[in-house]
This record gives sequence, structure tokens and C-alpha cells, in this order.
Amino acid sequence: MGRESAAEEALKLIRSRLCDPSFVFRAFSDSPESNYSKLKFIISSSVTEACNNSILLLGPRGSGKIAVLELVLKDLLLEYADMISVIRLNGLLHRDDNCAFKEIARQLCVEHQLIFSKMASFDDNSQFMIAMLRECGLAHKTIIFVLDEFDLFAQGKQRVLYSLLDAMQSVTSQAVVIGVSCRLDADQLLEKRVRSRFSHRKLLFLPPSQGDIERLLEHIFSLPIDSTLPHDYAVEFNAKLQNMLADDKFKQTINTHMNSDASVNDLLRFLFRAVSYMDSGSGLLSLEYFKTALSNIQRQPKLECIKDCSVLELYVLVCMKRLEVKEKNSYNFNAVMKEYKSIHDSFMTSDYYAQNVCLRAFEHLLHRELICFTDNRAYNQSVEFRPVKLLISFHELHQGLKSYRSCPAILLKLMDREA
Amino acid sequence: MGKEESPQITRRTTRSSSSVTVAKNGVETTKTSDSRPLTINELVFGENPIGLDDLLSSFPSRRAQILELVRLLGPSNSPMLPIFIYGGSSTGKTSIILQIFRHLNRPFVYSSCLTCYSPRILFESILNQLLLHRKNAANGYSSAKRCERPSDFVNSLREALSNVINNLKGNSGKSSTKNLVGRADGSMVYLIFDNLELVREWDKSATILPFLFNLFDVLKMPEVGLIFVSNTSPDTYYSSMGYMEPIPVHFPDYTEDAIRQILMKNQVNRKLYLSFLDVVLRPFCRITRRVDELSTALAPLFEKYCEPVSDSGVVPNEEMKRVLFSHLQPYIAPSLNEVFKVSSQPSPEVKTNSEIKQKGSRRKSGGCEEIDELDFHMSTSAKYLLISAFLASRNPATLDASLFDPMGGFDSRKRKRKPSQKSLEQKETVEQELLMKGPGTFPLERLLAIFQCITSIAEGSIDEEEQGDEGLEVQGGDGRLMSDVLLQLSSLCNANFIIKGGSCPLEGLIRYRSTVSEDMVMKVARSLKFPLSKYLYRR
Repeated sequence: MGRESAAEEALKLIRSRLCDPSFVFRAFSDSPESNYSKLKFIISSSVTEACNNSILLLGPRGSGKIAVLELVLKDLLLEYADMISVIRLNGLLHRDDNCAFKEIARQLCVEHQLIFSKMASFDDNSQFMIAMLRECGLAHKTIIFVLDEFDLFAQGKQRVLYSLLDAMQSVTSQAVVIGVSCRLDADQLLEKRVRSRFSHRKLLFLPPSQGDIERLLEHIFSLPIDSTLPHDYAVEFNAKLQNMLADDKFKQTINTHMNSDASVNDLLRFLFRAVSYMDSGSGLLSLEYFKTALSNIQRQPKLECIKDCSVLELYVLVCMKRLEVKEKNSYNFNAVMKEYKSIHDSFMTSDYYAQNVCLRAFEHLLHRELICFTDNRAYNQSVEFRPVKLLISFHELHQGLKSYRSCPAILLKLMDREA
Repeated sequence: MGKEESPQITRRTTRSSSSVTVAKNGVETTKTSDSRPLTINELVFGENPIGLDDLLSSFPSRRAQILELVRLLGPSNSPMLPIFIYGGSSTGKTSIILQIFRHLNRPFVYSSCLTCYSPRILFESILNQLLLHRKNAANGYSSAKRCERPSDFVNSLREALSNVINNLKGNSGKSSTKNLVGRADGSMVYLIFDNLELVREWDKSATILPFLFNLFDVLKMPEVGLIFVSNTSPDTYYSSMGYMEPIPVHFPDYTEDAIRQILMKNQVNRKLYLSFLDVVLRPFCRITRRVDELSTALAPLFEKYCEPVSDSGVVPNEEMKRVLFSHLQPYIAPSLNEVFKVSSQPSPEVKTNSEIKQKGSRRKSGGCEEIDELDFHMSTSAKYLLISAFLASRNPATLDASLFDPMGGFDSRKRKRKPSQKSLEQKETVEQELLMKGPGTFPLERLLAIFQCITSIAEGSIDEEEQGDEGLEVQGGDGRLMSDVLLQLSSLCNANFIIKGGSCPLEGLIRYRSTVSEDMVMKVARSLKFPLSKYLYRR
């Protein structure tokens, strides 16, 4: 195997690792204090003791709640293969009660090789679920309900949550309800009748610590020595990796990124971008990739937008800013044009265009979302008369003008005067 | 620009009617194409793949973005996190991503939220493409699967995707040595969502957007790559909370040099065009840097520029450039102010038409043939109706009596008094208000009253049939004319000259508003020889 193909193999391996959350979170699963161990203990004890249970997994987006849960479920399914069946719901998809019951019925049918009827009514499906819960309880089989985006189920009448938790009150049933949410106050959203049936067990997912990150990086990047990859290459790659991980500059780069967003998923996205720069010639990681990725992933969309603007669009923006500084509480295109004309009259600028050209520039700005209408739906007003507002701050505009390649001096002067 | 857009069009025809593509490719005859079963290879671009160098050279100054995207897509069979491509309009986002897939020769599903304007159509179009389903007369142009809800969509999508992926894997396993043309490379399937910014306007955007952004996590299939293409930057999506941000790739607007390169691409006489661009490009770039707008704006100017040149293949020298420039110079400034007049906002055709016509008439001095001031047809009563709507919108309702009162005595007294009382500041605030509020609204009764007034005034000067009708109506209250006028009104509303406003909360009547500009009404009045300025109240 040549050097290049080996490098490509390595790249594929690392990319698939980064895209596979269960591999990533495997790194945290061995310590007894981890959420993995706690969650596994809770679920396995309710499976073996044949009792009902309910848990909430809470934590910010991208902290690996679902990934850890999937890991636990995978391990438990290996351990107690025929004692568990898992029903997965997602608040984004099954927020509607009708939909949720249908999906539960469908998944139960798939699990137990039954024929699912699409025509079944809401009532049929909920009856079916309760009957299935009883049957499974009698057969000492635990049904695990995973409710992703739990907070969305708590909107509306909460019928799904109520019937699930109510069915679990009986002795015969045997089920675990696991809610996953990024809202830390998810349990406060519950109605009284639902809350009283809920166990209030919560697991918090925190951002990874410094040590965790280092372990994670090593876990993801180090190549296996004993695989299809050439031995020499893997050894060399790993040695280079160790070097880099120990480098202070590298740590600093990672820290800079983690300062803006501390979740694991965000780190993965950053690493993915860095790895995608890997050159198949050398086939080794280097600090440069991470630095490039950092500059590419931390974007300032508003400044980019200003850089994309034409000179005329900048004029319109500055006119609007001047109107705002004058404390005109609401203004529209006509007012902007008046201001534009007054600037032209007092400074005799070379960029003075007809109203319809400016209207076009104005519409471009609307498309770029640098400005927007203050009333969201005016059915019968033409663009000229609808009140508008700026969506960028004074500072951003000033910054943008300064970094603009050939910004007219008069605009900078006007902005400086306002400051 | 035309070249840039073309891949997308080919793509569409590839999917909707393969006969066109087949004819273009010349692989099979058109007769057999309809019966030809769709295979998994239908998901690749469909034309011969191009090399990376060709790709880079066909998109000037997009090297960094193309290389970045190719790197993010990675080697074949390697999974990918979702990508978010954003940048202003006509910066080549869609065509570049499609051409990259042509280069890579990997299967993908392209769906634009512009043509798929509701969740159901979007879902069904994706599934149709994945299930290799083609709408035709035999199946009554129906979709392969009917699905409206995200939950149904995810189930069907998962099924369809795993089918396709298995197929692809089988494909590559069977005949990896025989490298057929059009054979899909790798077993990854990519879903491209174009014009994502439009989803925010949909009714159910609050649920659909987070769903689309979370699709990768929901599916949990590493063989699926998601690519979002949007006009607006990722920060404009923050308000629709609840998603993981995809990897951003920014397409900046073209710089002046890049625009020059792009515009030069399809020119016959490059030297001549280059000297033309040297003259005009800089001033035009100060107004807009969008290639599509520039190319339409520059085309007529270039014709002007070429007028003195007899031989189209000539290579211009300094002397000639100077001559040509002096020929062109008088046209540059007016065209800067006129060329963007073609309205970009979706207004009904009639209005656009009239605007173009107006532009044409203004250009008369430039040497066009003689055209009438208002060269779209409009009946006399419609013209009067237009004028009365304009008056009703501009004049304050309280002054109606004095303006249209044939005695007019009351009018002069009031006018004399007003300016003396008004202080300058007050005047300014009123002006400001007018600037803000735009044309005022009016009820139907007021419009009809003014209409009657001005037609009865004009009766003396013009003898028209309907004026007689008008008289009848005033006297006998004949219903015929009334309905006629109402019909005219509704057609004016349809033409967007008058817009129907919401009903007034107090009175519960529908109120109207006139949108025509003063120039336009002046022209209409002139064609009727109607003394408009007499009735227009000036503040």
C-alpha cells in the first residue's frame, strides 16, 4: 500500500470516527463517575428489577445526551437481548399527539412482528399501546421510551406524556421513559397531573473538561497499529500526533475554539474541518490545519455582508445610520433618499444615482438581511413607504467600512463624525 | 452568466424529462428513452465527469471555495458532517456545487426550496428522486409516496436511502473493474437543499427548519451527506432555535477583476470587449456587483460601443479606443440611472410593462422611433378612475368639498389663511409624515364621488358615450354604469394601480390606496386633457 492510499485510508477512518457519536463518546464511558455508568446503572436496575422508571437527560445542545444514551442502549441490548424493546420518538417529528401514538404503535408492531394498520385511529393506537404495555409487563419485558426534544412534547395538552406516565402507574406494566432535552427547566414545563407521575430523576450533561478534551483528541486521532494500515505509517502518524498534542500552540488553538462554544459536537465540527485539510502527500496532521480551520469556522457574517456590498449600498447604509443617530424613530426608503440627497448636496459626491437605482440597491440590502422592515406584513404598501430598520450596529458598520477595500472617503468621514 | 446557469437547467431536465437529456447526450434515441427503466445511475449528474482543472478554470476566482468544498466532501465513501453554503445571489453557489458533483461523479439528490414551495412538495420530490420515480401520464403525474408530515418523511426517507445505498454497494462490488460512464462513484448519497432561506417564509417554518437542520442526527445514517445552500448567512437562522450549526462555507461576492473575467468568458472579440469593460465596468461596479444584473445592463451598451466598428474581429488600438470611448461616453451616465429600472420586486406585469414603456419614452431623445406617451390601452373611464383614485389618495378628505365645489369661493378663503398660520416646523413635520405614510387610503364612496365630480367637469370638453351614461347615472341611478365602474376598478386593482387595503377597524369598509406615481398620472391626465394640477392639493 502506497503512502498516498494509506493517507487516504487514515483520513477516511478519522472522518468516520468524527461522524460517529457513539465512537466519540466511548472515550468517556469507562470511568465510574461518568453519565454513561450512571445511566446504565439506572436502566439496567429497572430492567432486572422489573419496575417502572422515568429519567430526564438534560444538557446543552451537542453535549452528547443522545449519543451516551444510544451507547447504553446498545450495551444493554447485548446484555439482555430479549428483555428490552426500544421505542424512539423525536419531538421535532412527533409533537402532534396523533402522530406520536401512531409512531409508537408502528414501532411496537415492528418490534413484535405484528401488522401495523395505517388506518388505526388515535384511540385504537393508545388502547393498543396500553395493551402492549400490559402484555410486555406480564412477559417481563421492559419497553424503553426515548423522547428526544422532550420539551416539545410538553407543549400543548401533553396527552402523550400523560398516557405514557399514567400507564406506568399500574403494577403490571414495565417501562422506562427517558426524556432528553436541552432545556434545563424541562420538568417545570409539565402539567401538574404529569409532573406528579414523573420520577424527577435528572442527569446533567456538562461541557467536557480540559482533561476530557485531551483524552478525546487522542481517542479520535490515534490510528490503530494492528490494522490494514501500514505499520510504519501508523506509528509515524501517532508519534506526530503526540508531538502536536503536547504543543502549547495547539492547546491554545483548541482553547480559543472552545471559548466560543464549549460543546463536544462543536469541537467535532471544528476537528472535521481541520482534518479535511489533511494533505494526502504527507499524510500527517499538522498545527496549520487547525489554525486554518479556526479562521474559517469563526466567521463574522455581518462584516462579510458589508464587504459584499457595492458602494451605492454602503451609501444607503450610512444614510440609514445617520437617520438613526438623529433619533428618527421610524423611517422608510423615501426618508433615506432625502438623507442621501442632502449628503449629495452638501458634499457633491460623485455617486449620485436616480431613485430607482437606489431602490434596487435598497432591495439588495433587504435580500442580504442587513436591513429589514419593521412591520412584518404590510399587505398593501409599496417598498418605498414601509418603515425599515438596520440590522447591524454602529460599530459593525464602522468596522466594515474601514475594512472595505475602496470605501469612499466621504462615508468614513461621515461615520467618524457621528462617532 | 448564461453558461453559469446552464448546468442547473440541464439537471432539471435530466430529472423531469429524460428525453431531452438523452437527445443531448446522443447515447440513445429519443424513442426508447421513455420506456427505459430508471437505474440507480440516474442519481449522478448524467454527463461526462469533468476534471478538477476544468472545474477550477470554468469558475474564475472561486478556487478557494471549490477546493474547500471538495476537501469537505472528502474521498469517496467517507462520511461527512452537514455543510452550509452561503453567499449573495449570483455568486455561483448552486452551479459550483452541482459541477463539483459532476466532477466527483457521486450520486446526489437536488431539491430547491424555490420550486418545492411547501414541505409536502419538498419531501415528495426528494423521495421521488430517491425511489427513481418519474411522473408521467401513466401514473397520473402523482408522486411515488404521499407524505406531508416530517415523521412520515423520515420513515420513508430512511427506507429509500437504505435501498439506494445497498444498491450502490452492490453496484461497486459487482463491477469495480469495468468503469462504465455514468456509473456512480462510492456509496454515499448526498441531499442538497437549495434556497433554504425561503423555508423561513413557509407557514410551518418553526418546525421545518429545525427539522431540516437536525436531519443528520435524526437519520443517524453515516452514508448520507447533507448540503444546505442559502442566500443568507447562518446568523439569520438563529431565531429558529433548536439545531446544530452545520459547517459554514462562504461565497463572497465577486470582485471587479473576477467580474471582468466572467464577463469576458463568452465573448467573440475579447480584445474589443476588454477595452469596453475598461471603460464601463468600474462605474457600474459601484452600483452593483451582481453578475446577472451587470451582464444584462452591459449588453445594450456594448452594442452601442460597437456601432462605429465595421469589422467585428478588429483588434482595437489606442487611437480607436479613444474614438470608441468618446462615442460611448454620453450614454454611460444615463444608462447608469436607467438600466436597473426593470423591477426586481415581484410586481404584476402590467406595472413593469408601463415602467419599461415610460423608460422607452424618455429615451426618445436618444433616437428611438416615435412612441405615444402612454402606449398601453386603457379606456377613458378607467383613466378617469385612475385620476380620481390618485386624487383621493393625495388630497386630504376634508378639502374635497372646497376643491370640487363648482362655486369655489370657500376654497380661496381657506388657502389664503393657511400659510400665514403654519409655522415652518409644522410644515416640515407634515412633510415628514407624508414621506412616511405614503399615499392615503380612501373608501369606495369617496372614490366614486370624486369620479362623478371630475367626469361631470370634463363633460363639457369631451363628448364620450360614457359621459352620457354618467349623466344618466346621476339622474336616474341606473345600475349599469355602476357595475361598469366597479368592473374597471377591479381591473385596476388587478393591475396593481390601486390596491385594496384591509378594512378599516372602525367603519368596517374596504379601503383603497393608489400606488401610481405622479408622473404617470400626469401623463394620463395629459392624454385626457384634464387639468389635474387644479385639483391637486399641494402642501
